[in-house]
Amino acid sequence: MSTPSPTSTVALATRTLSPRQRGVRRFLRNRLAVFGIVTIALFLLFCFVGPLLYPTDQVHTDLRSTMLPPGSPGHPLGTDDVGYDILGRLMAGGQISILIGLAAGVLATVIGTLWGAIAGYVGGIVDTVMMRIVDAAIAIPATFLLLILSAVLRPSVPLMICVIGLVSWLVPARLVRAESISLKSREYVLALRAMGGSHSRAVLKHVVPNTVGTIVVNATFQVADAILLVAYISFLGMGLQKPATDWGAMLTSGMTYTYAGAWWLIFPAGFCIVLTVCAFNSIGDGLRDFFDVKGRAA
Amino acid sequence: MSDALLSITGLAVSFRTEDGPVEAVKGIDLEVRAGEVLALVGESGSGKSVTAMAVLGLLPRTASVTGSIRLTGRELLGLDEDAMNSVRGGEISMVFQEPMTALNPSMRIGDQITEALHNHRKTSKDAAWARAVELLARVGIPDPERRAKSYPHELSGGQRQRVVIAIALACEPQLIIADEPTTALDVTVQAEILDLIRALAAESGTAFLLVTHNMGVVADIADRVAVMFRGTMVEVGTTRDVLTAPREDYTKKLLGAVPTLPDAPSAVRADAAEQTPAPVLDIVSAAVTYRRGGRSFKALDGVSLSIAPGEIVGLVGESGSGKSTLGRAALGLLPLSDGTMTLFGEQIGRGGVSRRRERELRGRVGAIFQDPGSSLDPRMTVGEAIAEPMLVQRRRFPTSPAQRRARVAELLDAVELPAGYATRYPHELSGGQRQRIGLARAIALEPELIIADEPTSALDVSVQAAVLDVLRDLQQKMHFACLFISHDLAVVHEISDRVAVMLKGEIVETGSADDVLLSPQHPYSRRLLGSVPVPDPAKQALRREARAAALHA
Amino acid sequence: MSVVDAAQPTAAKKKSDSRFWWYLLRRVGQGLIVILLVTLIVFALLHLAMPDGPATGILGMQATQAQIDAFNKAHGFDLPVWQQYLNFLGQIATGDLGDSFKLNRPVSDAIAQRLPKTLILALISMLVALIIAIPMGIFQAVRRGRTSDYVLTTWNFIVYSTPSFFLGLILVIVFSQSLRILPAQAPQGESVAAVLANPGGLVLPVLTAALSIIATFSRYMRSSTIDNLSEDYVRTARAKGTPVAVVVARHVVRNSLTPVIAMLGYYLPVMFGGMIVVESLFNYPGMGLLFWTSAQTSDYPVLLGCILIIAVATVIGSLLADIIQALLDPRTREELS
Repeated sequence: MSTPSPTSTVALATRTLSPRQRGVRRFLRNRLAVFGIVTIALFLLFCFVGPLLYPTDQVHTDLRSTMLPPGSPGHPLGTDDVGYDILGRLMAGGQISILIGLAAGVLATVIGTLWGAIAGYVGGIVDTVMMRIVDAAIAIPATFLLLILSAVLRPSVPLMICVIGLVSWLVPARLVRAESISLKSREYVLALRAMGGSHSRAVLKHVVPNTVGTIVVNATFQVADAILLVAYISFLGMGLQKPATDWGAMLTSGMTYTYAGAWWLIFPAGFCIVLTVCAFNSIGDGLRDFFDVKGRAA
Repeated sequence: MSDALLSITGLAVSFRTEDGPVEAVKGIDLEVRAGEVLALVGESGSGKSVTAMAVLGLLPRTASVTGSIRLTGRELLGLDEDAMNSVRGGEISMVFQEPMTALNPSMRIGDQITEALHNHRKTSKDAAWARAVELLARVGIPDPERRAKSYPHELSGGQRQRVVIAIALACEPQLIIADEPTTALDVTVQAEILDLIRALAAESGTAFLLVTHNMGVVADIADRVAVMFRGTMVEVGTTRDVLTAPREDYTKKLLGAVPTLPDAPSAVRADAAEQTPAPVLDIVSAAVTYRRGGRSFKALDGVSLSIAPGEIVGLVGESGSGKSTLGRAALGLLPLSDGTMTLFGEQIGRGGVSRRRERELRGRVGAIFQDPGSSLDPRMTVGEAIAEPMLVQRRRFPTSPAQRRARVAELLDAVELPAGYATRYPHELSGGQRQRIGLARAIALEPELIIADEPTSALDVSVQAAVLDVLRDLQQKMHFACLFISHDLAVVHEISDRVAVMLKGEIVETGSADDVLLSPQHPYSRRLLGSVPVPDPAKQALRREARAAALHA
Repeated sequence: MSVVDAAQPTAAKKKSDSRFWWYLLRRVGQGLIVILLVTLIVFALLHLAMPDGPATGILGMQATQAQIDAFNKAHGFDLPVWQQYLNFLGQIATGDLGDSFKLNRPVSDAIAQRLPKTLILALISMLVALIIAIPMGIFQAVRRGRTSDYVLTTWNFIVYSTPSFFLGLILVIVFSQSLRILPAQAPQGESVAAVLANPGGLVLPVLTAALSIIATFSRYMRSSTIDNLSEDYVRTARAKGTPVAVVVARHVVRNSLTPVIAMLGYYLPVMFGGMIVVESLFNYPGMGLLFWTSAQTSDYPVLLGCILIIAVATVIGSLLADIIQALLDPRTREELS
């Protein structure tokens, strides 16, 4: 230890807070994380409940009211180049972006976790082979892979979820593998083996619960990245076909009107993306604190 | 007072933490006289390290320091950073505990020494380098010209500590503060470093403020001793006075808890009559070889050891001796590359019983590990941890949750902890309490053999004494055999019937505890024993002479 | 003093040198396996996606079965998949990446023309990014917890959460549209020299790419520096009387830099992936744009060729990063021995 720890002089804690309770307190102390949760909650309401309170037609174009600026009657955020109401479109687009983001993020985490846990705990040749595959897949840039897959297969929501999930599971795999390896040699796992415990008990009762923190934190970052990837796919022209849309597609189609000065085609969608991704990243940071049991222990 | 080189008055240090302010030092007075070696002793939480760091202003920003620290009359507290920097290394130097991490891994040794020189003197690069080489020679590093060009990872722990001392000496400071300088070193290496410190103090008249928890070290080199407890100064006096005739209760208690090797064999020990009941653990010619990237390393080489029922066998050795490896192999955590191991009469490992049978046999073995912080799963309550062996071995001992709860309460009682602790989490307990939990877990299934790998090495002296008492009581009640692995000879002697000494993967000597530890035969055992400092200055002086004579013989 | 210590150094050094070469050899071997796996993955993906081959994509939906069969026979798509794969491997070994379907030239030509431009853009962006990110990370670490750290972290956070094409768009709006000081399109030259001759056009693409890299790498540098600041050797240096700024510059920076440089190798695929976006946004005639247009026209060989080149570049990059780390950090060399 670099500096003497003052906690060694503290009298024993008399409170019996479980790690979870202490974690909640630490999480709530991280204002950015709380902001993140609030933001996501608001966005979910906006995207999924909003259309019920503010219904707009997102299927039929209205060529009589194209390119109306914000503040126009009936269109608080204006309309786009084919007459769709921007505010309503944000809600519809948000549903898709967030949905794909969440689903793909979870998918990537599940695949990656299983892969990494097995590779890490089993070790040996199994580990080597599994990790070489991961290395190879990482060597191919995500956008390249996305392009190939999306170009060949007709874009639909389930497909995009699968594609993004398949591209993103590599990072959790590496992380979980590293955790497994380090946990495998913790003394409490060794103690279990010394008392005759089986490998499956070691994994289920000791390795996994102590990895949950890393997994969940990484899952939130995966969701954030997935939302960004959805935007990238749309930018590269491989996104959903109209009239379906997501925030990335709104940005992309709006970009052609940059020089026309129609800022409302671009910035609301872009702003939504940035805010949502920021929110998920903040929650991830907050969860890091939440799960950090050892860091604050006496 | 006039002699005082360093004069500390009313020093108080408090830390800002997320649980509120914590007072680490509560107003102490201390004096270091020119040319003397003053030992500052205490257990963890006494504030001794905090005091040492406060002198050079090396505490973190969360610390607030009040009081007065004077160096030959000049006030140090409150000096600006530049002025403080000229004191650090120039007039007062510091040596820290961990030699393995104290040096910059990507900088040459010589450069790290010349840095200290350039900080305080105007010298040419060549002159500084020459002085660095000279310093390396002075601290006893062989082939100093070449060593000066090497990197820290090429040196052993003991050598790195010598380099750190060389850095501290570079500008010939009046005072060197050493914070537990030998705690992380093997006992034989510690003896060498202590010799060095003593020689330096004598030659150059440098004063030393030595922070330590080891009373033997104090007896070996300190002139005066100051005892701290929970941030307050308890007793100050000459080494002889404090160690042989302590005035305060705490000092008495502290000294009483220090395990010591007796001078003569104890009156009657359980006789080593050859009844030879079947051993609980029998290891024959065991070898463990590590293979890394084409290179092999023999951690254990032809080791044979057997433990009779109810017998406590101590296993001693320094780092790299293989004692931990033997312990792990005995626990089934490491496969043997050669040799056989028989547990309760059945052979285990390669060519032995099935894995399932081995797991069942393991239910009759208990394990205690060294680090109380990591031997308990932080996500399980104490009760769950203690009950785990019951769940693992439920085939042999089916239990209901209610039975397990009752047993956990019994076990907590056996290790003298309140039953309410069952719902607590490890991080809420102190190191000693966690180690008792580890003990409770080890005896949960009434094992016939307990393997303890350095069970008390991470604990304070008084806590260690308590845990050892509990272990001894339990052993007398339950009659389990025990393999007690430790580097602390005195502790091993107190608790063991037989002792084995290990060096470089081999057992060099075995016998009864008295024979091996009080009158060893093997040269290494003798050297090992001779290096252990005892907390009596007069006796220690004699031992020192004996050791010096043996080395030159 | 044990005699063993004195005698060890020369022998140990020789041993560690030879172990270093062994390590190198092993890593190169691993790299080759990875490249092989990459070809397998891409080949497999393309065949899974287009089980009947690219014929319909290239000849059009109206192509007759006879035309498709002729096409398949001519290009070897009627052979079993594993045979096609082996043929492909054999081809690559001789440096032949096949011919593009749409561009009427060999794939290697097309790539050879575009690759240098992408590399130049990537290199400049990386350099610019590192020159800013590394000092920024150190600054943030030293000023940890204070306002300046907080502001910069938040800034990086926001940049990190923004799609790069949005960032680029904003830059274009600000600098090209409103201020009119920079062109919105990248230099269109055929050769690297032509590209470099128009540095103004490179500013916005480089800035767009660099901003994301800065956000990531200053975070790495910050956390690496924070870790190193709490190491024991820093305390030893301070106890010698070395001023804090000097300690940071002389001791901490070098040790903190090493893991970050190792990250560079792993970051290469991300950067190449980002190049597609930047190149299409600014219409920069590099490999990313080539890949994009080929994806839209199902130009099978070009896609495979590009991915192969990128994978090779990544493997080489991470190998170099590991080597640099081993050279810079004596500890890693120790771990190898």
